[in-house]
Amino acid sequence: MITPPEISWLAIAPDLALALGAALVLLVDVQWKPAARVLAWVTGVIVAVTTGLTVVQWAQSEPADALAFSGLITMDGFAVFARLVLVAATALGVAAGWRFVAGLGRRGAEAIALVLLATSGFSLMVASNNLVMMFLGLEVGSIALYVLAGLARERRQSEEAAIKYFLLGSFASAIFIYGVALIYAGTGQFEIVGIRDLLAGFVVSSPAVIYIGLGLVVAGLAFKVSAAPFHAWAPDVYQGAPAGLVGYMAAVAKVAGFAAIARILLTGVLDLSGAWLPVVAGISVVSMLVGSVLALVQGDVRRLLAYSGVAHAGFIMTGVVGGATDAVLFYLAIYAIQLIGAFAVVAVVAGPDAAGSSIDQYRGLGRRSPLLAGAFTVLLLGMGGLPVTSGFVAKFGVFAVAWAEGYQWLVVVAVVASVVALAFYIRVIVVMYMDESEDEGALRIGPERWVLVLAVAATILWGIFPSSLLDLAADALPI
Amino acid sequence: MLTALVLLPLAAAVVVALVPGRRREIHLPLGIALSLFPLALAGYLFWVFEPAAGFQYVVRVTWYEPWGIDWHLGVDGISLPMVVLTTLLVPIALAASTSITNRIKEFVVYILLLEAALIGAFLSLDLFLFFVFFEAMLVPMYFIIGIWGAERRIYAAVKFFIYTAFGSALMLAAIIGLALTHVSQTGSASFSLTDLAGLELTVGTERLFFAAFAIAFAIKVPLFPFHTWLPDAHVEAPTAGSVLLAAVLLKLGTYGLLRFNLALFPEASVDAIPIMAILAVFGIIYGAVVAIVQPDLKKLVAYSSVSHLGFIVLGTFALTSGGLQGAVIQNVNHGLTTGALFLLVGMIYDRRHTKQIVDFGGLQKTVPLLAGFFLFMSFASIGLPGLNGFVGEFLVLMGSFPALPSLTIIAASGVVLAAIYLLWAYERVFTGVPDTDENRALSDLSAREIALLAPLAALIVVIGVYPGLLLDKITPSTEAVIDHVVEQTDFVVPEPGRIEDVHVAGDEG
Repeated sequence: MITPPEISWLAIAPDLALALGAALVLLVDVQWKPAARVLAWVTGVIVAVTTGLTVVQWAQSEPADALAFSGLITMDGFAVFARLVLVAATALGVAAGWRFVAGLGRRGAEAIALVLLATSGFSLMVASNNLVMMFLGLEVGSIALYVLAGLARERRQSEEAAIKYFLLGSFASAIFIYGVALIYAGTGQFEIVGIRDLLAGFVVSSPAVIYIGLGLVVAGLAFKVSAAPFHAWAPDVYQGAPAGLVGYMAAVAKVAGFAAIARILLTGVLDLSGAWLPVVAGISVVSMLVGSVLALVQGDVRRLLAYSGVAHAGFIMTGVVGGATDAVLFYLAIYAIQLIGAFAVVAVVAGPDAAGSSIDQYRGLGRRSPLLAGAFTVLLLGMGGLPVTSGFVAKFGVFAVAWAEGYQWLVVVAVVASVVALAFYIRVIVVMYMDESEDEGALRIGPERWVLVLAVAATILWGIFPSSLLDLAADALPI
Repeated sequence: MLTALVLLPLAAAVVVALVPGRRREIHLPLGIALSLFPLALAGYLFWVFEPAAGFQYVVRVTWYEPWGIDWHLGVDGISLPMVVLTTLLVPIALAASTSITNRIKEFVVYILLLEAALIGAFLSLDLFLFFVFFEAMLVPMYFIIGIWGAERRIYAAVKFFIYTAFGSALMLAAIIGLALTHVSQTGSASFSLTDLAGLELTVGTERLFFAAFAIAFAIKVPLFPFHTWLPDAHVEAPTAGSVLLAAVLLKLGTYGLLRFNLALFPEASVDAIPIMAILAVFGIIYGAVVAIVQPDLKKLVAYSSVSHLGFIVLGTFALTSGGLQGAVIQNVNHGLTTGALFLLVGMIYDRRHTKQIVDFGGLQKTVPLLAGFFLFMSFASIGLPGLNGFVGEFLVLMGSFPALPSLTIIAASGVVLAAIYLLWAYERVFTGVPDTDENRALSDLSAREIALLAPLAALIVVIGVYPGLLLDKITPSTEAVIDHVVEQTDFVVPEPGRIEDVHVAGDEG
């Protein structure tokens, strides 16, 4: 006789709202065939409701009763903060991709529904205390993303991106679940908190199984966050997927992936840190070096952002090495916003026919569309981690904790990689301001403008007054 | 007051940015007018500054408490002259930019942003804040070189950016390390210079941190062998950019060595005296020799900077009263004379559109005023007694001799080499008979240009004749630096190195 777990509606309210919202969007679409404007309102309401529910969660989250559904789901500050970032990324991402969505005509509702579903899955994933639950969330989110990557199917690149993403992504998911199975074999536990308690209380008799399982889990998640050497898919997907939505896709995958990595490593198996710290530090170094060096030689802005994303995965890993969830969360929040903003610019520059994103198209942008170029400059410098931008505070945070943890050499590599990273961001700025453009005339900016305003404001305001977000992140502790 | 000093140029930049782009004719005058406010405030600060050790007018507001970051500004005898110099040169640099017609608004905005970052960096007493300003100034300077520079501007701008960013990245790592050491030793986070100076570091760590800071500043100075970005940046930068780069930006390097390396890592500084001094002297000679053979007038002045800044580093690491006084005063002097020389080169370039020395000849017949100013500034740069360069170099050499006699003797030959490259350049450009029609048709300095050069020339004479004006304000602070080093280490200031033993004009102390 199985007793069904007690249902805690609040713990899954945001995920539920998003999933129901996705269904609602599809139903509304089928029933009334509404104009894009109506769809936008519906989406807005769904996102607003989800945000409201998440804020309620934040107010309610107490470490004592953070676990729900017999320990499947947690409602700790860490999960809620990550959720807030995911919801914010969704709102920004939909606005950034709106031109594309509206251009899809009848299929626009599908794109919205997929975005909402993806967020719902990842939102479940960041709140999972159970490895199987985490896998469910991961799959819901990832599969929606595979489809999103292929939505611009008139372009061959988009199809290629979808296939590549799907094949490699499902391979990574398989590796992840295999790792989960091995961890279960070693500990008899799916629950992260349970694994922690077990490791704290007993000497594990066959650690090799756990180590291998852990390694596979980390590898699977490293794929999702595009950390080297599991990054091969990223440039093609970033290049092929619909421009406006790429920022969203990359951002939520990174947020959810890193939240899962941080939760498993820092909550679950912190006692085994002697085994995994060198591995994570290694992934971090390889990502930073591979990402920043390869980004230097890219001639396409999307591929450049993809490789820079690999480098960023390395930077965030230093925060994991430092064992500080708040530094990781802060970095994720900042980077997600900047990335979506940057891809909003890419979408505008690519224009309605989404024709490529070669760096040549950015020539003289500073003259053609000064505000757009200015926003892009702020975002690029922010991602480069220049002081007075939030990117600097974020980098500083993760480097500082890694240093404090005794990984000084890692920090030195990281600062050198940041300089290289600045170099390729600067390259884009050079092209925008110091080259002459072949075309004249300003570019038409649609709803992306709001994304850019918010992203630039976040970059500068949290760069100068980081306290508000840092304090919030500091409160967002995992159980 | 100090906060206002940082925010005034920033506000000015915003005001200029808000003026509509089509009102092209008012951006530059507005920028110049607004940049006079910081100058007035800095002048007032100089006036009310009491000569005493320690920081004055300290502002300290918590910025982000858990990390111990403060908005922490203060001024002492070492930073005061630099702030005044910065605020003085910005209006002059702007006023010298009338030949810029392309995107003048952005240009003014960038210069004003640069000013804010520079003043902030000189006044910061919090290492985090300092780093923020130190990095923040890269962006405006990068654009100034990259947009309004000469043909190879992008190469120069990127090279400038990468070099400096690389140096400061290592410094950032060291700053993090220092702050965390503070956490582990006292339990609370702090980036305050005074807090961090009190840390107990092991010899190894201290040397590592010293090296990280020293490399960052050595690139900025630039000290041989980190100087290769400088000639490119100078030659490609527009006149205003060159002036500010040479006169103020480079000083951040020497200022940083003096303010941060000596204060934070006294033990390692003492150990590093031979290395730093040898690099400095090598730079003096190398810069001078390379300057002699330069065919390009602007490059010549740029290499002369490498040579002159070597004196400042030498004086700093002599760790004697005279050496430090000379270093600070030479910071100001080099700013005035080299700034003026770059202005003059810019004026020549505006007339002839060439900087190649071979293209000129006999200019003193056609442009006697310009030639006169050039000769005057050259004399100041060489160190003719009665002008400012003499005071600074004399103090540096005098102060360094007891500590490093043999190196000082070699360094002194740099003065002779300076006479060679500057006077030889003067001879080739200005003396003789004008040989080409272009050279015969040049117009002499306008009233505006004289107005730009006159205040610099006046200050050069004032400092040369009455250095006490500056030295009185500087000395308590430089003495405090030496006291700090002597307290923290078993370093003994070589005799006769302290203030009682050195008697120089204007120094009654």
